[in-house]
Amino acid sequence: MTPRDPASQLPLTPAVLHILLALAGGERHGYAIAGEVDETTSGSIRMGPGTLYGSIQRMLGAALIEEVSPKRARDDDERRRYYRLTAFGRRVLELELQRLDRVVRVARRKHLLGDAGVL
Amino acid sequence: MRRPTYERAYAAALRLLPEAFRERFADEMLDFAARRLHDARRRGSLAALAERVRLAGDLALTICRERAAEWKQPHADLPPRDNMDIFLQDLRFGIRGLLRRPAFSIVAAVTIALGIGANTAIFSVVNAVLIRPLPYREPDRLALIWGTQGQTHQQGVVYADYVDWRTRTHSFSELGAFRGQSVTLTGGDSPERLIGDFVSASFLRVIDLKMSQGRAFTDAETEVATKAPVAVVSYDAWQNRFGGDRNMLGKPITLNGTTFTVIGITTPHPEVPLGVPDVMMPIGYYPNAHGLDRGVRGIAVAARIKSGVSYDAAQRDLSTVMSQLEQEYPATNASTSAELISLREYLVGGVRESLMIILAAVGVVLLIACANVANLQLARGAARARELSVRAALGAGRRRLAQQLLTESVLLSLVGGALGVILAIAIRKTLATLITPQLPVNEPDIRLDMPVLLFALGVSMVTGLLFGLAPAWKASRTDITEMLRSRIGGGLRQGITRSTLVVVQLALSLVLLATAGLLTRSLQALQRVDPGFDGDNLLTAQFRLPVAKYDSPVKIWAMFERTVAELRAIPGVEGAALVRASPLSQNGESYPVVLEGQQPVKVGDAPMMQINSVTPGYFATMHIPVLSGRDFAAADRGDAPHVMVVNKSFAERTWPGQSAIGKRIQFGNEGWWTVVGVVGDAKHYTLNEAQLLQGYVAHAQRPQVFTSIVVRTKGNPTDFARAVREAVWRVDRDQPIWRFRSMDEDLSGVVQSKKTMMWLTGLFALVALLVAVVGVYGVLSYTVAQRTQEVGIRIALGADAARVRRMVIGDGLRLVAVAVVVGLALSIGAGRFLRNQLFGIPATDTLTFVAVTVVLGGVALLACYIPARRASRVDPLVALRMD
Repeated sequence: MTPRDPASQLPLTPAVLHILLALAGGERHGYAIAGEVDETTSGSIRMGPGTLYGSIQRMLGAALIEEVSPKRARDDDERRRYYRLTAFGRRVLELELQRLDRVVRVARRKHLLGDAGVL
Repeated sequence: MRRPTYERAYAAALRLLPEAFRERFADEMLDFAARRLHDARRRGSLAALAERVRLAGDLALTICRERAAEWKQPHADLPPRDNMDIFLQDLRFGIRGLLRRPAFSIVAAVTIALGIGANTAIFSVVNAVLIRPLPYREPDRLALIWGTQGQTHQQGVVYADYVDWRTRTHSFSELGAFRGQSVTLTGGDSPERLIGDFVSASFLRVIDLKMSQGRAFTDAETEVATKAPVAVVSYDAWQNRFGGDRNMLGKPITLNGTTFTVIGITTPHPEVPLGVPDVMMPIGYYPNAHGLDRGVRGIAVAARIKSGVSYDAAQRDLSTVMSQLEQEYPATNASTSAELISLREYLVGGVRESLMIILAAVGVVLLIACANVANLQLARGAARARELSVRAALGAGRRRLAQQLLTESVLLSLVGGALGVILAIAIRKTLATLITPQLPVNEPDIRLDMPVLLFALGVSMVTGLLFGLAPAWKASRTDITEMLRSRIGGGLRQGITRSTLVVVQLALSLVLLATAGLLTRSLQALQRVDPGFDGDNLLTAQFRLPVAKYDSPVKIWAMFERTVAELRAIPGVEGAALVRASPLSQNGESYPVVLEGQQPVKVGDAPMMQINSVTPGYFATMHIPVLSGRDFAAADRGDAPHVMVVNKSFAERTWPGQSAIGKRIQFGNEGWWTVVGVVGDAKHYTLNEAQLLQGYVAHAQRPQVFTSIVVRTKGNPTDFARAVREAVWRVDRDQPIWRFRSMDEDLSGVVQSKKTMMWLTGLFALVALLVAVVGVYGVLSYTVAQRTQEVGIRIALGADAARVRRMVIGDGLRLVAVAVVVGLALSIGAGRFLRNQLFGIPATDTLTFVAVTVVLGGVALLACYIPARRASRVDPLVALRMD
């Protein structure tokens, strides 16, 4: 298996970024991911089932995330599948956050961004 | 637990997702949606509604997005389960294949669209004229009956014979008599001319004419003995001429001096054979004094044949009765009979052949277009081979491959067909307006209705099969591994197929060119025909004097004499005269003639002479030369000896080597007429008629109420119409005049339909030639590419540019030569069908054939030139290095 270059995945779309962020906190199932994304973006990224799973499918294809084997005993529905970050996905998330951080630092240096974070 | 409705609908809608995605995520999506809804319901019904809308939109978007993504990837993971699946998969492959090669697909689709569009347009005309049933009840049972006199056909019918048919024949459920003639409506501000029809009540039943108001005639009202002065007005006339008068029914109108009461108004746009009249009157009021006598051919007859009786049986019935009448009335009915002709045949028989020729020509264009698309497909041999081999590796058998290719071809063809139909719709109005003057239909009749669309669909499918066959057949026979291994794919065998296709295209183009050429020469010959008179700057018009007012020959002649004087006085008029039937007006009468001192001849065998009445100065006005003797003079009045002028053909035929002057002739029952002059021949009904035997008598000695005006003008004849009308009104203020026409309008009208045919076939031939020539270019380019290595070697070995060029051109010429041979053979065969359309030239006219061969050869040669030059420029080093 040829290792893929994480930098090639950048920049991430907002949807993918937030899904990765949501999974950074641990395994989640689809509904929970969508709920967390909704929360952390204060409602500006509100995904429906189609958009969510469409993104999930593509992220699975890009090996950013993987399915967790559903054999874990949980009190939730058996049908629900859980997802988690792959090492690759984690690396990609790291790089993207670093990139974003760099951008914010430049903005701070130029006094475009106060400590409060808003212009 | 039953799920709520929305969720059930959502679950069902999930089925629209592509299979793989659905299998993976559908369950989760449904769960997700259910939870969202549940939460939203807790927030309120408005929130729940909003959530439902959001979910629906999200699902719709996802379906579109995933389906679109699926198109872009080859998807061979799920094997098709049944024939429908196989077909759908082939369809998908086909669509994807076409979308992947947009250049080819567009060019091919446009080529097909042009071919199918042209065919559909022409077929819509054929459908309107030849196929669609006539708009009458049971139209196949409708027929017209014409009289025959000896060898002459399509004559009028004798009213008395018609009366006998009603009682003596048994094949007809209804027989109706009719006679169209203009009538003068008086009582308004100025006299008006209406188109009239004198009919029997049974005629209205034959054609199923319905009334929107009032009633039709009763049988008693139209019989001669019991005729009643009642009239039926057509809906259009009621609206346009009578202003939609509310009190029309029961209103008296004065026609030809007699007052009729209107008893009925027809439904809008009725169908009447030979044209819708403005007003119908009982045939008992027949306008000419002796028109209903025995032996006078005054009427036309329409018949409805009984169901179950064949045309032949009805014809035999009719002929039998005519034989009986011949026995009973030998004086009037000798050598007469009657012929039955179906109404459809009468209306369209004359144009059927021309239409079929045009349809065949446009069909040939489509064949050439097919060959072109087939060649285009073969040209992509290399890429196709690779694609096919991949599919074969994935498990498709040879038959399946062939099926897939065929599906793709038919799909392409259907797309082209749809575009073609749109094209046909776009040109419909223009085509219909141009062509309907020469056809027995109107512009709205030519439309793209169901039969035409079905035709387009059928032709599209056949076209797809035709040009898809070659590649599909090859795919089903070629070994896949060999395909993978070969270079530009197909090699020699493909070259032969392509060459054959091009030869076919060139040969068919030659046939079309030859057809167009023959029609052009024929038209030229027709236009060169000397009509016998000078058609420039000549104005014609017609009028009919009301019998009631002009009830004696003296009054008629007085009016005519004064009219000619007034006409001649108009400034700018070089000559004027009256003639009963002006040339090309389709008026005219013919009679069998008897010569003095001749053996008594059976009436049927006597020569027929076209008799016309003229005023003195007619020949001078028409520029018809007086060859011997004299023209009519003022002295040739009613009481003077009856004199006649005959035409050259009659004089030479009847009295060869002698002078015709002084000879005497008898025609009709009108006594003996002495020949006093011989004039040049003139055409009368149409330009390509065999020269008629013509005789002219003085109007003064044979006055009739109907006559035509001919005026030779300085300058544009139609400018003089008003002056002519006023001149006649100075003689009789109440006399309407109609049908103002310039003679050269009539002359060009004669050739109009031939011109249309010539232009259409010429257009097709040009398109065909263009397409075929592009085909030649394509094939030669291909051959040159194939033989690059060989050419490189030759150049390296010392062949010069000219030699290489000659080699390539030689290849091209070989194709053209074969095509010419085949094409000429086909043209000679096709000539047989053209013979009836040609005038003055044989169907195998050498000049035409040589000319089109030269044109084809020349143009094809030009097409060879570019590949030839390219070949001569091949760099041997590059060529030899090619693998």
